[in-house]
Amino acid sequence: MANLNTDSIKNRTYDAIVIGSGISGGWAAKELTGKGLKTLVLERGRDVKHVTDYPTTFKNPWEFEHRGQVPLEITKANPIISRCYAFREDAMHFFVKDQEHPYVQEKPFDWIRGYQVGGKSLLWARHTQRWSDFDFEGPARDGFAVDWPIRYKDIAPWYSYVEKFAGISGNKDGLPELPDGDFLPPLELNCVEKYFKEQVKSKYSDRHVIISRCAHLTEPQAIHHQQGRGKCQNRVLCQRGCPYGGYFSSNASTLPWAAKTGNLTMRPQAMVQSIIYDDQKGKATGVRIIDAITKEAIEFYAPVIFVNAAAINTNLILLNSTSSRFPNGLGNDSGVLGKYVAFHNYRARVSGSYDGFLDTTTDGRRPTSGYIPRFRNVFKQETDFLRGYAAGFSANRGQYQSRTGLGAELKENLLIPKLGNWNVGSHMMGETIPKETNTLSLDPTLKDEWGIPQLRFNIGYDDNDEKMVKDYLEQISDMFTKAGFKNITASDSKQAPGLDIHEMGGARMGKDPKTSILNGWNQMHACKNVFVTDGACMTSTATQNPSLTYMALTARAADYAVKELKKRNI
Amino acid sequence: MKRRTALKSLALVLGGTLSLPAWANAWNADTLSGNLNQLVSPDQQALLAEIVETIIPATNTPGAKDLGVHRFILTMLADCYEKSAQNRFVEGLTELDETVKAHYGKSFVTCSPAQRLEILKAREEAAKILPPEKEPFFPFLKNITIQGYLNSEYVMREVYKYELVPGRYNGCFPVTASAKK
Ligand SMILES: Cc1cc2nc3c(=O)[nH]c(=O)nc-3n(C[C@H](O)[C@H](O)[C@H](O)COP(=O)(O)OP(=O)(O)OC[C@H]3O[C@@H](n4cnc5c(N)ncnc54)[C@H](O)[C@@H]3O)c2cc1C
Repeated sequence: MANLNTDSIKNRTYDAIVIGSGISGGWAAKELTGKGLKTLVLERGRDVKHVTDYPTTFKNPWEFEHRGQVPLEITKANPIISRCYAFREDAMHFFVKDQEHPYVQEKPFDWIRGYQVGGKSLLWARHTQRWSDFDFEGPARDGFAVDWPIRYKDIAPWYSYVEKFAGISGNKDGLPELPDGDFLPPLELNCVEKYFKEQVKSKYSDRHVIISRCAHLTEPQAIHHQQGRGKCQNRVLCQRGCPYGGYFSSNASTLPWAAKTGNLTMRPQAMVQSIIYDDQKGKATGVRIIDAITKEAIEFYAPVIFVNAAAINTNLILLNSTSSRFPNGLGNDSGVLGKYVAFHNYRARVSGSYDGFLDTTTDGRRPTSGYIPRFRNVFKQETDFLRGYAAGFSANRGQYQSRTGLGAELKENLLIPKLGNWNVGSHMMGETIPKETNTLSLDPTLKDEWGIPQLRFNIGYDDNDEKMVKDYLEQISDMFTKAGFKNITASDSKQAPGLDIHEMGGARMGKDPKTSILNGWNQMHACKNVFVTDGACMTSTATQNPSLTYMALTARAADYAVKELKKRNI
Repeated sequence: MKRRTALKSLALVLGGTLSLPAWANAWNADTLSGNLNQLVSPDQQALLAEIVETIIPATNTPGAKDLGVHRFILTMLADCYEKSAQNRFVEGLTELDETVKAHYGKSFVTCSPAQRLEILKAREEAAKILPPEKEPFFPFLKNITIQGYLNSEYVMREVYKYELVPGRYNGCFPVTASAKK
C-alpha cells in the first residue's frame, strides 16, 4: 500500500509544471523541455492538434451554412463572446460559451476566452511590436503604478530570441519608440497607406505610419521548416487555424517542438484549481487540478511551477491558492494581488474615404494592417492626460454592384463588380493607467461547475481614458483631414473593457516585495519556485499588442529558473 | 451534408480518414434548421423558388433557383432571424400569392415568366413609395436573394474568382489588370 502510494506520487511528479498552453505557456513548455526538464503542461481545455483539429480550415465561404454569420440562438445565449469580432461561424468552436464559464461583473467587462490546447494563440490577430524604454520608464517618469524592475536592454536579446523562432515579419523603421527586431521581410503597405505615410511624415515631425510587425512567415527560415511550418499563403483565414503553420500559434510551433524533445507531457482537460504551498518547505510543491470530465481532484508535483493561464485566470489561481502562510493568495504579502489590473482602451475609431488612386486597387489578401506608433507624450509630457495611444490604420478599395432592376437586368448588374472609392480607417489602442481600484477578486460564495470560485470584475475607465479618447479622435481626424481624406467620421463605441483582449496586471513585477508580487525575473518575491509570465505580470500596459512581450519574458524567466534550479537556489 | 464534403476534402489533403471531433459539433447549428419545415409548407418553398428565380433568372448562366438561393433564404430565416421577422416573411409570401390570384386568377407559380416579372416589378415600384414599416417584405426579399446569389459557389468561384489560397498581396494593383483578371 505504502509502495503503491509512493509510486503514484512518483508518477505524478515532474521537473516542472506549466499551467496553460497558450502563447506564454507554449513558450514555457518549449524552453523548459529544451533545457532537459520533464515538463507537465496542464491545460483546462480539450486538445487541439495542429491541422487535424482545424475543422473549418479548408472550407470555402459558400460551404458555411450561414455564410459566416453566427445563428441567433447562439448569439442570444452568448452575448459576451458574440461581441468579439472574431466570433464568427468559421471559428466559434475556439471560444468558450458564456453560460459554461460565468463570472460576476461589478462593472461591465467582456472577458474573451479560448480554452483549449493553444489557448488564444489560435485566434489572435498576430500583431507583435516591441516595447521601448519610453514604455518601461513610464511609471517611474509619470508617477503611477511602480517602477518596472527591468529595462529594454534586459529584454532586447529575448525579443530577438523569440522573434527568430516564432517568425516575425516587419520593416526596420528605425524608430526609438518602437525598436526594430529580427525581422522576416515586411508585408506591404498599399498605395493609399503609403500616401498617408508620406502625408503624415511631411506634416508632423513625430508621427509615423508603418506596416505592423506581425507573426507571419513571409520567408520561412530553416528553423521554421524544422517546426514543419511553411510560408504564409495570404489566406487571411487565420482564426480557423493555419494548415501551413504560416502564422505563429502554440499548436503549430512551440508545443510540437517541446513534444519532440521527449520531455513533454500534455494533460488537457486539467483545470488547475490552486497551487499547493508547503509551509515546512517554504515553497510550492505542486498543483491541484480538477479533471474537467470526471471532476476528480488530482495533485501533481514539481520543484518549479510556471503560471500561464492568461492574465485573468492566473489571478484567479493565485487568489485561490491559500495556505496558512498565504491566507490572501499565493505570494500576496503585499496585498496587491488582484489589484492594478489594466487593459488597452479600444473604444475609438475614425474612418473616411479617399478619392485619389482611382486607377489602382489591391490584389490578393494581406494578414495585417498599417500601424501608427504612439506619438503622444513620448519624449516629454505634453497633454493634459498621461501616456498615449497607438493606432491601427488601413485602407482598402470597396467593391460594389448596382442593385437596380429585377430579372435579367438585375442579374447583369450583379455580375459586373464596380470599384468604389478607397475607404480608410483607424482604431485606437490606448494605454490605461493601472489603479489600485481596478480589481479582480474571488466571489465569496459563487462557484463554477467544477467548484472553483467565480471571479468578480471591478475594472473601469477613468478620466485619463476619457481625455485620451477625445485626443485620439481629434488627432486622427486632423491627420485624415490634412491628407485630404473625405467623409471623416469619428466614433466612440463606449465598449466595456475586455474586448481589447489585452488584459494585464494583478500580479505585477516590481523591485519592492512590499508593493509587487514578482521580481525582475517574473519570480514570486515570497515563493521563489513560482514564476508568472503571462499578462498578469505586467506593471504597466504601454500601447503595444502585448503577446510578443509575454513570449520574451517567458523565455527569459525559464532560462533564469533553470539556472537557479541548477544552483539549487530554488 | 456540407460538413461531410468539407471533411472529405480535409481527408484528401491529409491523406487519411477523419471524423469530426465532438467538440466541433458543440457549437453547430445544423439542428436548428430542423424547424425550417415548420416555417413554410412545401408549396411555399416552391413558390419562393419561383420568386427568387424571377428576381435572378437563369440566362446563359444559372439562376437563383438552380443555385438553391430559396433554400439559403429559409435556412437564414430559420437560424439567424427573430420569430417576428420569420412571421413577416411568411405572411409576405402568402399575401403576395393571394394578390396574384386576385389579379390573374391563378397562383404565381402557374403564371408565365413574363407575368411573374411584371408582378414583381409592380411590387417593387409600389414598395419604393412606401415607408419601410409599411413594406417590410419586398426589400428584404430582394436583398436576401441578392445575398444568397452573390455568396453562392457559382458566383463566388466563377464570376468573382474567389481564391481560398491567394498566396500574394499586391497593394498597388492597376485597375485595368484587375478588370482583366
Ligand atoms: C481575436 C483576438 C485577437 C488578438 N490579437 C492580438 C494581437 O494582434 N497581438 C497580441 O499581442 N495579442 C493579441 N491577442 C491577445 C493574445 O491572444 C493574448 O495576449 C495571448 O494569447 C496571451 O497568452 P497567454 O498564454 O497569456 O494566454 P492564452 O493564449 O489565452 O492561454 C492561456 C491558456 O491557459 C488555459 N487555462 C486557463 N485557466 C486555466 C486553469 N485554471 N487551468 C489550466 N489551464 C488554464 C486556457 O485554457 C488557455 O489555453 C488577441 C486575442 C484575440 C482573442
